[in-house]
Amino acid sequence: MTSALKIQGLSVSYGGVRAVSGVDLLLAEGQLVGLIGPNGAGKTTLIDACCGFTAATGQVLLAGEDISRLDPHQRARRGLARTWQAADLFEDLTVRENLLVSTGPRPWRTTTREILTGRVATSKNVDETLDGVGLGPLADRGAHELSQGQRKLVGVARALVGKPKAVCMDEPAAGLDTRESRELGTRLRGFVDAGLAMLLVDHDMGLVLSVCDHIVVLDFGKVIASGTPSDIRTHPAVIEAYLGRAAATVTDESTMPEGQGAA
Amino acid sequence: MSEILLFALLGLGLGALIAGLGLAIVLSYRGSGTVNLAVGAVAMLGAYVFYDLKTAGVLLMPPIPFVPDTISLGGPWATAPAFGVAVLVCAFTGALFDVVVLRRLRGASPLAKLLASLGLMVTLQAFAVLRFGSSGQSAPAVLSEGPSDSVRVFGQSVPDDRFILTGLVILAATILWVVYRYTRFGLATRAASEHETKAMLAGLAPGELSLVNNVLGFAVAGALGIFVAPMTQLDPTTIALSVVPALAAALFAGFTSFGIVTAAGLAMGVLSSLVTYFSSKSWFPTSNGVAIPGVTELLYFLVVVIAMFARGAKLPTRGTLEETSLPPAGRARRVLAPGGALAAVGIAALLVMPFDFRQAMVNSVIAAIVCLSLVVVVGFVGQASVIQLGLAGVAGFVVSRLALHAGIGFPLAPVIAAAVATGAGLLIAVSALRVRGVNLAIVTLAAALALQQFVFANPAIGGVGGAVVPSPQFLGLNLGPNASFPINDASPPSPVFGILCVVVAVCLGMLVAGIRRSGLGQRMLAVRSNERAAAAVGINVRNVKLVAFAISSALAGLAGALYAYNFGSVSVSNFEVPAALGFVAFAYLGGITTVAGAFIGGLLVTQGLASQAINVWFGVPVNYELLVAGLALIATIMFNPLGIAGSVSATLRARSRHLPSGDSSHKRIATEPGSDSRNVEAVQP
Repeated sequence: MTSALKIQGLSVSYGGVRAVSGVDLLLAEGQLVGLIGPNGAGKTTLIDACCGFTAATGQVLLAGEDISRLDPHQRARRGLARTWQAADLFEDLTVRENLLVSTGPRPWRTTTREILTGRVATSKNVDETLDGVGLGPLADRGAHELSQGQRKLVGVARALVGKPKAVCMDEPAAGLDTRESRELGTRLRGFVDAGLAMLLVDHDMGLVLSVCDHIVVLDFGKVIASGTPSDIRTHPAVIEAYLGRAAATVTDESTMPEGQGAA
Repeated sequence: MSEILLFALLGLGLGALIAGLGLAIVLSYRGSGTVNLAVGAVAMLGAYVFYDLKTAGVLLMPPIPFVPDTISLGGPWATAPAFGVAVLVCAFTGALFDVVVLRRLRGASPLAKLLASLGLMVTLQAFAVLRFGSSGQSAPAVLSEGPSDSVRVFGQSVPDDRFILTGLVILAATILWVVYRYTRFGLATRAASEHETKAMLAGLAPGELSLVNNVLGFAVAGALGIFVAPMTQLDPTTIALSVVPALAAALFAGFTSFGIVTAAGLAMGVLSSLVTYFSSKSWFPTSNGVAIPGVTELLYFLVVVIAMFARGAKLPTRGTLEETSLPPAGRARRVLAPGGALAAVGIAALLVMPFDFRQAMVNSVIAAIVCLSLVVVVGFVGQASVIQLGLAGVAGFVVSRLALHAGIGFPLAPVIAAAVATGAGLLIAVSALRVRGVNLAIVTLAAALALQQFVFANPAIGGVGGAVVPSPQFLGLNLGPNASFPINDASPPSPVFGILCVVVAVCLGMLVAGIRRSGLGQRMLAVRSNERAAAAVGINVRNVKLVAFAISSALAGLAGALYAYNFGSVSVSNFEVPAALGFVAFAYLGGITTVAGAFIGGLLVTQGLASQAINVWFGVPVNYELLVAGLALIATIMFNPLGIAGSVSATLRARSRHLPSGDSSHKRIATEPGSDSRNVEAVQP
């Protein structure tokens, strides 16, 4: 296994507060790593720092290349994609256009031709990705017309359409019902099995524990535990910091066929 | 040395105005999240109301049909009551603006609020021109009334009003600081501007806070206008455009600190006065034997740029839930057919219309190109820019100079001119690179003013007299306004020139429509909807903005070249800031997000076709049109953000959907909004 995304000693400070401190993280190709932790643990900040949206110290390596000094769009073009908690779609565009603008830069020749002919060069990949997450029928809807669950799926599709090397998913299942969440988990697993490296932040413990290969637990900006899902379920520090008394219930639920997913 | 000190002290007068306007801007921003461009115009309003009361004892009335222009209140008033009433009028204007406009826009984007205040500014300025003409007059003094009222400083006599005024502004700032720091009202305002919804949950009423803050701000602005008018002069632009340095001061203060805004405002006044002093020196650069003009305005612009960088190019975010700032930008399904039809109609109209309407139509067609340039940068990318007419001016002057000094004419000169305008536009865009939305509006406003005073007013370039622009000749054919033509050749402009303009405008319209349909257009809209998400999918947000700015500047440049040929000469008066602001209003009115909207905006501009028709058929003077345009801009932002183009296309869609069904109830629904579009058509034959 080669490392797709490697984070070394990543720290983020807001004034005197260290939101993320000295985090190391390794994502291999075809590996799905879950990142969990209580509210305010620094999960989203870690993704922001990793993708260049927050000033940070430390190193981020994408397929061996140091991208720590690059702008967000440059990191994206090199193959680091992300989704947003609130989906953050391009509201003025249709679903297909949301994906189309995410397929990377186009040469000026293409742009000139598009302006003159009025036809946008589409990419086969866009339709494949849309079908891959089950959004095919909604391709020509405006982003603002979709339900919350559909919006999250568009966000996921948009992150995947550029064939990234690594993806950071920020709560893709928030706002989805149990069935949708389960479906999403299966789909994400499928993309990972095809060779993608994925970092998954979510509060749906059922989802995280069932699909991830490896789980990292963050609290107060520090990694307090990491291991396989079964390690994490029983890890005393995790139970204390995050799962607390609810741990037993969560563990039970995640093994049940219709897991409710802890809130 | 003592002279320098004297001028520095004299500058405190203007400084007090800038500081006062800065206080008003801060109040308006803290109360309602509005970057209020109208405070200068409000100061002007206060000064005019005071002037009328003090000298003639009449009260200015708003321009409502069947209401007299003024009400006589029996002879000239004393200073104190006149001052009180004038300030009350300003406070009332603030209350009206807050309750009628800002209250409805509370959830809207900062951009929408800024544009609404721009509407108010345009309206108030047009009102002043309507009642008092555009030339200046000396205003009655308020503070010092004779030569005895002066203080001797280092052997120089300085009128004491400068000191009194500075003291008053500092006093006002101190009172405001104390009120905001220690009273429940101040605490509540700060809370509401931190987080509006939470403040509401805590039982505060943001609406009332906004009202009080705006009334206070407008009253402060009005009072300063009255005090300062005798030191500058009373005209519709000088005081109104003092909002530019006031915005710079407010930027330094992060739109929150009363102390910093006052200090920065006073400093800016002193700066301006020192520039006046230095320009009398022999070493000061001259142009055609006169000290170069506009250095102060150039400094204001630089101060704005520096303030942007110093403050991290970001307004403190208010805790309001923001809506999307702009209406959807529809994409045309077909481009060639509508473009061809438009060209055909335009050419036919040129051939049959009498000469005055023909001239108006040429004006409209060129204005449509300026509106197109606004559509690209404002409508597609969501960057509020008011510099477009200024860039057109740059191109106009370039065309003139190329012809006179280098012998370069049509069609190379317009291309070079557009390239120069693009360069100038990019220069301004780069100086505002980290800046977006509302802040860009401030930068471009300062740039437009600097361009007007420093470049266009320079006698070596254009100046008041203007520079000649020879007719465009191509392959020995005269294409200019004085070309001969077999049909309808009575007087200029020749239909030939009109046809040239129509062809260029239609081609550029199709180009902009093509951009909207292309991947580039999609990326522009992606940047407009969500910059961080755009960056996250690999879109270079900065480049997309720069490309949009470049395209927009080139379009403005081509329009400027056509304007130059149209006027036959270019002077500073062709491209002034108030006209530029008017263009933004008309572009919004037509529909800021669509190509069709740009053409409708072109029809509406002053001296355009609609204005000509209203003037000739109904005898309505042009100045009323700007007044209505300002109000219409406010109404458009509040009720119909898609502009006229949006309502027309909605009506057409409703008709095509409902009419074939033959269902009478549907028909009724479909034709009701249709009355809207018919009114528009009735204005333009």
